[in-house]
Amino acid sequence: MSERQMTCILCPNGCEIDVRWTGTPTDDTIRVEGNLCPRGVGYALEELTHPKRTLTTSVLVRDGVEPQASVKTAKPIPCESIETARREVATATLDAPVTIGQTVVDDVAGTGVAVVVTRAVPRRAAERSAG
Amino acid sequence: MDETYDVAVIGAGVVGAAIARALSRYRGSFVVVEKGHDVGTAASGRNSGVIHAGINCLPDTLRARFCMEGRALLQEWCEELNVPYSICGKLVVARVPEEMAGLEKLVANGISNGVPDLRIVSPSEAAALQPGIECFAALHVPTSGIVSPYALTIAMAEDAAVNGVQFLLGAEVTGIQVHEDAFAVATSRGTIRARQLVNSAGIHAGRVARMLDPDAPEVYPCTGEYLILDRQVGERMKMSVYPAPRVANAGLGVHITPTTEGNILLGPSSEYTDDPETVCCTRDVTDRLIDDARVLWPDLPEHLVIGAYAGVRSKLAAPGVGGFSDFTFHTTPGVRRAVHLLGIESPGLTAAPGLARYVLDEFVLPQASYDPKPTEDLRLRRWPDRFDELPEAEKVRRVEADPDHGDIVCRCEGVTKREILHAVDNPLGVRTLSGIKFRSRASMGRCSGGYCLPRIVEILQEERGWSPDDFVLRGPASPAFAGYLLVERHV
Amino acid sequence: MSEPKRHTDVAVIGGGPAGLAAAAAAANAGAEVVLVDRNPRLGGILNQCIHDGFGLHAFGEVLTGPEFGERYVARATEAGVDLRVSTMVAELSADRELVCTSPGSRTRLAASSVILAMGCRERTRGMLRIPGTRPSGVYTAGTAQWLTNMANVRVGRRVLILGSGDIGLIMARRLTWEGAEVVGVVELLPYPSGLPRNISQCLDDYGIPLYLSHSVTCIHGVDRLERVTVSRFDDDRRPIPGTEFDVACDTLLLSVGLIPENELSRRAGVLLDPTTSGAQVDDRYMTNVDGIFSCGNVLHIHDLADWAAEEGARAGVRAAEYAAGGARREALDLVPIEVGPGIRYVLPQATARSAKRLLVSFRVVEPADHRTAEVVAGGRDLASLSLRHAHPATMVQIEVDCGDGLDAERLEVRLR
Repeated sequence: MSERQMTCILCPNGCEIDVRWTGTPTDDTIRVEGNLCPRGVGYALEELTHPKRTLTTSVLVRDGVEPQASVKTAKPIPCESIETARREVATATLDAPVTIGQTVVDDVAGTGVAVVVTRAVPRRAAERSAG
Repeated sequence: MDETYDVAVIGAGVVGAAIARALSRYRGSFVVVEKGHDVGTAASGRNSGVIHAGINCLPDTLRARFCMEGRALLQEWCEELNVPYSICGKLVVARVPEEMAGLEKLVANGISNGVPDLRIVSPSEAAALQPGIECFAALHVPTSGIVSPYALTIAMAEDAAVNGVQFLLGAEVTGIQVHEDAFAVATSRGTIRARQLVNSAGIHAGRVARMLDPDAPEVYPCTGEYLILDRQVGERMKMSVYPAPRVANAGLGVHITPTTEGNILLGPSSEYTDDPETVCCTRDVTDRLIDDARVLWPDLPEHLVIGAYAGVRSKLAAPGVGGFSDFTFHTTPGVRRAVHLLGIESPGLTAAPGLARYVLDEFVLPQASYDPKPTEDLRLRRWPDRFDELPEAEKVRRVEADPDHGDIVCRCEGVTKREILHAVDNPLGVRTLSGIKFRSRASMGRCSGGYCLPRIVEILQEERGWSPDDFVLRGPASPAFAGYLLVERHV
Repeated sequence: MSEPKRHTDVAVIGGGPAGLAAAAAAANAGAEVVLVDRNPRLGGILNQCIHDGFGLHAFGEVLTGPEFGERYVARATEAGVDLRVSTMVAELSADRELVCTSPGSRTRLAASSVILAMGCRERTRGMLRIPGTRPSGVYTAGTAQWLTNMANVRVGRRVLILGSGDIGLIMARRLTWEGAEVVGVVELLPYPSGLPRNISQCLDDYGIPLYLSHSVTCIHGVDRLERVTVSRFDDDRRPIPGTEFDVACDTLLLSVGLIPENELSRRAGVLLDPTTSGAQVDDRYMTNVDGIFSCGNVLHIHDLADWAAEEGARAGVRAAEYAAGGARREALDLVPIEVGPGIRYVLPQATARSAKRLLVSFRVVEPADHRTAEVVAGGRDLASLSLRHAHPATMVQIEVDCGDGLDAERLEVRLR
């Protein structure tokens, strides 16, 4: 029997769950305790087999009221792709105006997941008059 | 820097700034050489801000003389320059009968020095003057006061600057050579030539003096730590409160001093240090400041401490030697035209205008003839009224006249965008965050700049084109940031 | 340009999640509402919280801070709230008059009820009296977050974080992602103060060490930060001599607590609770000053913006009711709600005796497993909740059914 303790991160409850399994972890072979809801089981399975995270970062914006827009992967992506995804996103620059939900990268790091804007950045006003 | 100045002043603390202001009233070429990147960055910006009455000065000393001459002139200059000050008075508190002798000694000093209206008061009278203080008896000193030490130093220096005195900041003096007609002062920013020298370099004055005279006295740095309390408690302290001196000691204990902005200061402590550049606050001392202050003020709200700082005094008495040393004007036979001000510790701030007057009258003016400038040629650079302290109707008027007064940048101190811009556009060319802080008050409040620093960054990027690398705390060696986070890639 | 309104039913001070939700709820309850916020953009602190974890309770979705904020901005806009940005409240009086200042304008606004939703500020180095020099490179975590996420500024390259609160943990990961070396997180308590999921996602995932029962005892560097001294602390929160070690770093982030920003409230005569540093309120979220309500982080520090928004919505409804002619405070018979064993603070601190239902929020003093929280009145159990893992970092709420009203002299919340 294999054992692992982990923190389910699906919601802020952060349940400390005990996961036990025999052989390959699957729906049938794992037993989860300490979860407040059934999603913990699915989470445990995924954490054991294909852990995923949402990447949240920022990109440069030209001519915006702020210099950056915040962005995220539209869905969690595999942990091992996070750094590649981050580097790919870091090279992007957007032109204001930038809207929430706007796509920055269609398919980041070959994950099939898009990176989208999470904070709108309006265009800055025309040149201020002197003085 | 090809010209030869008439006078070079070394050190732009409160004394150097006062000398510069006094010089600026004369026709001549004057320069102040300062190692820091602003004026008043050492002891002058890190003290209690007290206008001493003269009770703590031994009679017939230079300290006493310049305390009394200085305090009168100081108040005149503060009025001219609009520098905040208040003659709020002081209570020196005896907690037990044994301390009465110490109070009586202060009274005797005071009477000799010409301090008026000194009175020993009962506990109930003391409580009426200053609620919340516990005592056996107290000495009421009505002529003692407070002044904003950094406002004073900056205001005098900027006033001197707009009247033609040059300020060379970020220039540490590394050597001085004597030539026939002038001194060659080597600095980290090149060499300055000047016919006369005034050394008001504070803790470095001994070292500078010894560049000309190996027999000049040593100056020993002595740290004093302070705690600052939130302005919220300022209403509770109407005047300074000091403990009575223990008869054997030369100085006073932990003081409770209100500031002109409504904060309360606890301190200073007193420890000699080997390394005055690394001015530090320590846990032991700041704990002791609270414990000692609580003896006088049992309800001291410790949870309202918002900051701590430390300054360094210039002492002529070596560690362990103790005793009294007077202000010293050191000159060297054979080296005319240079005077070194050594050991200017308390009441140095109070004395500064008096010291400046004396230095000019005794050392500078007799050496060469400088014509006073006619009044109409003089400009007056006044310390600006603080927007936050104006009456509401005046605030409304100013906002209507200048939209940038409607934009409050420092929420804790009520500093407006206009005040920030005025601070950064100063005549000394100081472009540091510390320079903005001391001129505008921004970041001196309870959140220590947590809210206003981001706003200041935005404003200076937007209005003055600064980039992250332009933001420094006190000078080029203290950058605030490490550049841009993201930089556009050009493929 | 038209004159700004001089009077309104409800004035909301602060456009973060609590203020926006309060304004929308008050407007939807029929009140005329003005909301003022000092920033050019609404959303408050949410705009710089670009990480996700928001909205799970409010919307059933996992959103980033700015996205969560936009939902409430939309609600407030749709509800017809008069939203005034770049406007700070400079003064607030006990009779509910606000002095509002913005570029070019300084005007008065009178309101029948006022909702305080100003949020909080961060605890500073000065308040902690951390010894040492005062170099550049020492920032509170929230300020560093703003600089990193809103101003495109790199705060430093080699970072130590004091405090395992959520903001510090989030910044540990953020700065690591942006190429800084985060050398560790130092926490005075023997347990982390942030959410467990953030310890997992921000520290464990990146191998960033967490030093529990440690704190910074000295800051070094005359100009820019060069290193800090870290010591182990004993159970009495005193440094243990001989355990010190130095950590080379050019940046120190402080994530050592949030303080409700109640300066305006204090000057208006609002009484504060010394434990929460927020206002003392009744079950309507009304303070001791008639018609002045409080909600969100300015009332007590929330760990989840979802709860701050919900609280704001509840307060908004009550403020609208009051503006429409609700009962004055002295007309109410208030029953105090007090802190019992194991509980650090309770909100509200009092309830109307006639209240039928009550929502009590509280935090425990220290982490505890398998306990029961109880609300008792006159020896009688009104409500209880079993807590598998109670932690001071996680606010707990209990709904209390008061029946036909309360007949006890006081209520107490305690941990069994």
